[in-house]
This record gives sequence, structure tokens and C-alpha cells, in this order.
Amino acid sequence: MESSSLLNEGVTLMIFGVSFVFVFLTLLVIATSLMSWIITKYEKNVGLLPEDGIPAPTAVISSPKHGNKSQTHSDDSSLITILSAAVHKYRSRNKK
Amino acid sequence: MEQLLNLWHNTGIYQIAPGQAFMIAIGMLLLYLAIKKNFEPLLLVPIGFGAVLANIPGAGLAEPGGILYLFYTVGIESGAFPLIIFMGVGAMTDFGPLLSNPRTLFLGAAAQFGIFATLLGAVLLSTFGIFDFSLADAAAIGIIGGADGPTSIYVASKLAPDLLGAIAVASYSYMALVPLIQPPIMRALTTESERKIKMVQQRHVSHREKIVFPLVLLLLVAFLLPDAAPLLGMFCFGNLMKECAVVDRLSNTTQNSLINTVTIFLGLSVGSKLRAEEFLDLTTLGILILGMVAFSIGTASGVIMAKLMNKMSKTQLNPLIGSAGVSAVPMASRVSNKLGLESDPHNFLLMHAMGPNVAGVIGSAVAAGVLINYVAG
Repeated sequence: MESSSLLNEGVTLMIFGVSFVFVFLTLLVIATSLMSWIITKYEKNVGLLPEDGIPAPTAVISSPKHGNKSQTHSDDSSLITILSAAVHKYRSRNKK
Repeated sequence: MEQLLNLWHNTGIYQIAPGQAFMIAIGMLLLYLAIKKNFEPLLLVPIGFGAVLANIPGAGLAEPGGILYLFYTVGIESGAFPLIIFMGVGAMTDFGPLLSNPRTLFLGAAAQFGIFATLLGAVLLSTFGIFDFSLADAAAIGIIGGADGPTSIYVASKLAPDLLGAIAVASYSYMALVPLIQPPIMRALTTESERKIKMVQQRHVSHREKIVFPLVLLLLVAFLLPDAAPLLGMFCFGNLMKECAVVDRLSNTTQNSLINTVTIFLGLSVGSKLRAEEFLDLTTLGILILGMVAFSIGTASGVIMAKLMNKMSKTQLNPLIGSAGVSAVPMASRVSNKLGLESDPHNFLLMHAMGPNVAGVIGSAVAAGVLINYVAG
């Protein structure tokens, strides 16, 4: 009698456990996708966080390119350099 | 003369029991495997040495008052060491691959099936009277299938402290044996063309997402399964320290010096559980076998889940990454990658497999929470 109740408990725990793990991770998938969606939207307006903090401004700012074909990529990177230089200047000024 | 006799009675040779001699040999074997064969040396060296120390006759290192006993009480009985290790693991984990393809979380969930199937197996064995496992013992044995050392130790210390030695040794040795255990199962369950499936390039995951993710996970745990909060809470904390990039000093300590320090004491404490009186038992053999079964079922269900998801969705997954749903980071991913390269030398699965791999860590911690909740609560 006792052993069959142990078996019952085992089966219950298995079904309960497997379904709970799935429910939890399904919710996590939903929450994660939602979070990514919101952040991607938000970053469209605000811009990305740079990978390792705010990069220090480089001395040489690449000269603007006139060939329009590969404009987006290189222009973006020089834009980021300019922006981060501005941010740095702003921050160092505000410290005082 | 009497003093000489007394001295003789105090020597190890006089006092040693055959079981102790055998366990010292096992400890030496673990050291050999770690040093010569490079099987999880970071853990097996302290565990093996702890096992030797614990079995020195008459020294009583692992008995109340002994130093190993002290380590065990402070670190493992309290649950502190596995949790600190988990914090370090969190600080070393990159959720990028998981965030770029959240669906891989399902693979991590499927691989936890091994835990519960083994639990049922252990219960069945007790029903037939072969072993005498309680439900708590069965739960602690099943968690070996999660292939996650700290989680196994945490659950065992909560539910079945007397089986802790065998469970810890089983789970760490199977983690070291991942490259041997998994490939045959993976080959048997997939066809050549499935193994050749190329996966879509992963999208770039922004820094903000990586910072917010541990918080999302933490909130979900807090709302749904507070029993998993110790494990996943520490995990998320470690990860947040790494990703937020403003506490680099803390994050570096957590992933290096702290986790190393704790690993030394954790290993010694686990080794102290390998005393002849507790370890040399038929149950240990049962645990080792059940652990292997747990691990194999986990691998198989991960692969099957990947195939199932391919049936339901247009974006194809390579089923080889399913096996990485058992935790064992990063070994399981490397195995997936290696098998993928065997079928197609240009198909690199490593980063794709890291998704289910870290999902497996989350999954096994959730499973641990469920088990603790059900059995102890």
C-alpha cells in the first residue's frame, strides 16, 4: 500500500514538474520577446548603448565621404565618434 | 613497552578498515582522472583529495570536530557554496545567443525531462523493493540529469544530505563524460540531412537587452516560483553585475577569485562525504546508474524537442543543438558543434548551441525549485 502511494506521488511530481518547467520557460520566452521588442523600438529613437561604456574620442575624425554608395555604415561610425566626443565633453564640463 | 604498543595502535596501518583503504584508492583514482585524463580537474582534484583525507583512519577529518566536517557544515549544509558558485556562473554567462533566439528556451525545458523520468525510475525501483529511496531521495537523484553540479549539490543538501557524496560525484563525473555519452545518442536520433541543417544567422543583441534580461528572469521567478529564487536570484545577480558594466571590479572578483576560493572548499567538502561508512553501499551504485540514465534521457529529449519544433515552425533548428539543453556549459555546446562539423565542415553550431545550453541552466534551476517546493514544502 505504502509503495503504491510512493509511486503515485512520483507520477504526480513528474507530471507537475515537467508541465511547470514548460509553463515557466514559455512565459520566459514571451517575456523575453516582449522585452526585446520594446527595447528594439526604444533604441530606434534613442540609439544603442556602446559596447564598452562610452568610447573615448579619437583624435582623427574620418573625413566625410562623398561616394554615396556605402554611406550608411561608415557614416554611422563617424557619427558615433562625433557624438561620443560631444558626450565626453559635456560630461567633463558638468563634473565641475 | 606499553608506550610502543600504544604508538602501534595509533598508526594508520593498525586502524585501517578495508573500506577505508578502498575509498583512499577511489580518491586516488579521482586524482588520476583529473590530473592525467583532465576530467573536470578543477573539481576532481579537491574532491579526490578530500576523499583521501576523509578516509585517513583515526584522523577523523570528516567527523564532527574535523576540519572537513567544518567546511561541510559551513558551506554545504547551509547551502551557501552552491549558491556562491551559481553567482559566479551567472557572472560568466552570456545570454546573447539565448536572447537572439528565445525559442531555444524550449530545448532547455525539454532536456529537463530526464530529471523527472529518472525520478520516476528511482521511485519504481523502490516500489519493486530493489532500493529503498524516499521521494526526496528520488528527487535528488533525478536532478543529476540536469547536468549542473551546483544545482545537484544544492538540491541534495536540501532533500537527501546522506546521498550527497554519491550525487555530487555522479553529476560531476557525467559532466566530464559529456563528450562520450552524448554523441551516440545524438547520432542515433538524427538523420544525416538533419545534421546538415544550417541555422539562420543570429541577430545582434543590444546591450540594454542583456542588462534587462536578468531582471525579467528575476521578476518571473519572484512571481512564480520563490523556491527557485536562491539559485536563480544569485545567478541573475552575477549576470547583472557582468552586464551592467559599472561594477567591473565586483564582477571580476565573482568570476575569478571568489568562485575559485569557493570551489576549493566545495570540492573538499564533497570529498568529505566520500567516507567508507557512507559511500560504500549498493545505493551508490544505483545512483551512478540512475544518473547516467537521467543524463541520456535529457540529451535524447532535447534532440527530439528540436525535431518537434522543426515540424511546427518554418525557421529550422539543427536538432544537434537540442542536446545542449542539458546544462554542462560549455561542454555540451562543444559536442553539438563537433557533431555538426562532422556532417558539414562549414556548419558552425557553437554559438547556436550556447542558447539552449544556458537555457538548460535556467531550466534545471527551475526544476530544482519545483522539486524542493513539492518535496520539502
